[in-house]
Amino acid sequence: MSLSRILRILAKDLRLGPRSPIFLYAIAFPVILTLLVVFVFGSLFAPSPRLGVLDAGNSSITSKIQQVGGITVTMFDSEDELIEQVENDNLDAGLILQKDFDSSLIARERPVLQFYVGGNSLLSNRTILAVTTIDLIREVGGSTGKVDVSIEKLGTEESIPLVDRLLPMLLIYAVIIAGLFVPASSIVAERESGTLSALMVSPVQIPDIMIAKGVMGFILAMLAGIVTLIINQAFGNAPLALVLILTLASAMAVTFGLIFGSLAKDANSLFTAVKGMGIFLFAPVIFFIWPGLPQWIGQLFPTYYFLFPLFEVGVKGATLADVGAELWIGFGITAVFAVIAAMTARRLRSALSST
Amino acid sequence: MSDTRAIDVRGISYSYGNLLAVDDISFSVEPGEILGFLGPNGAGKSTTIKMLTGQVDPKSGSITVLGYDAIKSRAEMQSRIGVCFEEKNLYLNMTAAENLRFFASLFNIADFDPEALLRRVDLVDKSGTHTKGLSKGMRQRLMMARSLVNRPDVLVLDEPTDGLDPVSSRAIRRIIREEADRGAAVILTTHDMEEADKLSDRVAFINEGKIATLDTPENLKLAYGKRSVKVRSRDGDQISEQTVALDGPEAGEELKEAVASPGLMTIHTEEATLENIFIQLTGRGLE
Repeated sequence: MSLSRILRILAKDLRLGPRSPIFLYAIAFPVILTLLVVFVFGSLFAPSPRLGVLDAGNSSITSKIQQVGGITVTMFDSEDELIEQVENDNLDAGLILQKDFDSSLIARERPVLQFYVGGNSLLSNRTILAVTTIDLIREVGGSTGKVDVSIEKLGTEESIPLVDRLLPMLLIYAVIIAGLFVPASSIVAERESGTLSALMVSPVQIPDIMIAKGVMGFILAMLAGIVTLIINQAFGNAPLALVLILTLASAMAVTFGLIFGSLAKDANSLFTAVKGMGIFLFAPVIFFIWPGLPQWIGQLFPTYYFLFPLFEVGVKGATLADVGAELWIGFGITAVFAVIAAMTARRLRSALSST
Repeated sequence: MSDTRAIDVRGISYSYGNLLAVDDISFSVEPGEILGFLGPNGAGKSTTIKMLTGQVDPKSGSITVLGYDAIKSRAEMQSRIGVCFEEKNLYLNMTAAENLRFFASLFNIADFDPEALLRRVDLVDKSGTHTKGLSKGMRQRLMMARSLVNRPDVLVLDEPTDGLDPVSSRAIRRIIREEADRGAAVILTTHDMEEADKLSDRVAFINEGKIATLDTPENLKLAYGKRSVKVRSRDGDQISEQTVALDGPEAGEELKEAVASPGLMTIHTEEATLENIFIQLTGRGLE
């Protein structure tokens, strides 16, 4: 195995890539699909974060929050009315500031801050409202001022907006097309054109070729995944954690791509194989879209082990620790498929010789 | 093994499932020698080439190329050979120069000059042309150039002139001769007997996975041809034909008489062609 040869093949593939329809498809498809979904279900053009405020005193936080651009603030006199509006999804969140909130905050008396979150609100809107409120409290109370925060979620866990529940579908398309299709179709194209045979009578060895194709798929899958998360406003919540999970997702997709690419004799058999195995790859998506279905079925499929962490962290605000078990299982599955990919790649040499 | 041998093949066999494609064949090639590998389709030529170039390992036997074991030291061996395929397997979206530069980079060749090689194959004016825009003959010449990027000590050519126009065929034959003169050992598969006769120092006839015979074209013609000449002469309106056996006791006198005859039209040797010899040995033609 030679690093310099791997890099030369990779450079060639990246340079020729934009001339390949599959390569362009891998880049453009997730963006187009995302735009289509958010256009139909509306989050890209969704209204700005909506906050209801009931100010029992005359808190400076109220006036400051009204001056913050990009947030629609509605004032309420009744707590019941505020809660009703949050429950009915007319507001993303409701904030109740007690009488003498500011003075209690300055006096370090730990006043109570009540925050109602709408179950149907977008995670990005909730995050913006929560972070903005915390910033304003610090501005008024200084770094030592403390509050007791009471957060109440209105609505049920299942009431995550459909546009958020569709995110796993967008992500799996992005990652699978770039991570699986690009390397697999590149191997098959080289096989069909005979250039793979030409490479194999040079000092290049099969592992050099496989690694170069895999790295190309990995880079594209990471890019496609990050772009999809950004467009869906789910990347800002925990970017480092999401990059780590996308690393797992891309690596898993690439191992599938190398297996499919090594086994497929031509483009037709590659597409037939991917179509046939579609359920194996895409099935977990169903369980995110319809959370009422028995979730354990989703866990039978390997892609669940990166989709679940991506969904939990990107949409529901979980931490890496919360999804650690799934991530470890995912890395284990990827390692097993990597071994299978190495075995099928070795087989590719003898398969080529028989053609 | 003699130290001078560029290629030494001993008792190699290969089968595809139950089909024995190559059956215990042995041969060697010296530096600067051109060995023509002749046989019909399916005779085992391409499988032998695949084993020689490290694309497939023989099921039995050994192959040593430039002192390297072709199985155990495949990468080292491949870094010193050049292979020109029958199938046109170039990167069509790359230019002629890019194709050569890419392959040269895989051989870690610094300061590679694609123009010099393109000039040798008369394609220097197509340097910046995408390969998909080149004719079949031009692509074949480019593949020939590609096989030379590493200045190989062993050159393996699979049907290099098959279906080409005379200009491209001539260019490829010239380069093959130049490479042999430089000292490269050349193995050439073909089913074009005339080409093999013109180019090869020795020819091997391969049929049903076995080498039927291996010798210089001259020796084969002597061994399998008739030692006789055919004399045609005219006497008035009559044309007569006479065969003179060269080994006969009166051969000298008979030939002298024929040459002196005023009606002499033609004298032909009865030398066998390689194709005749192949048919004689294998009972089948080359097509």
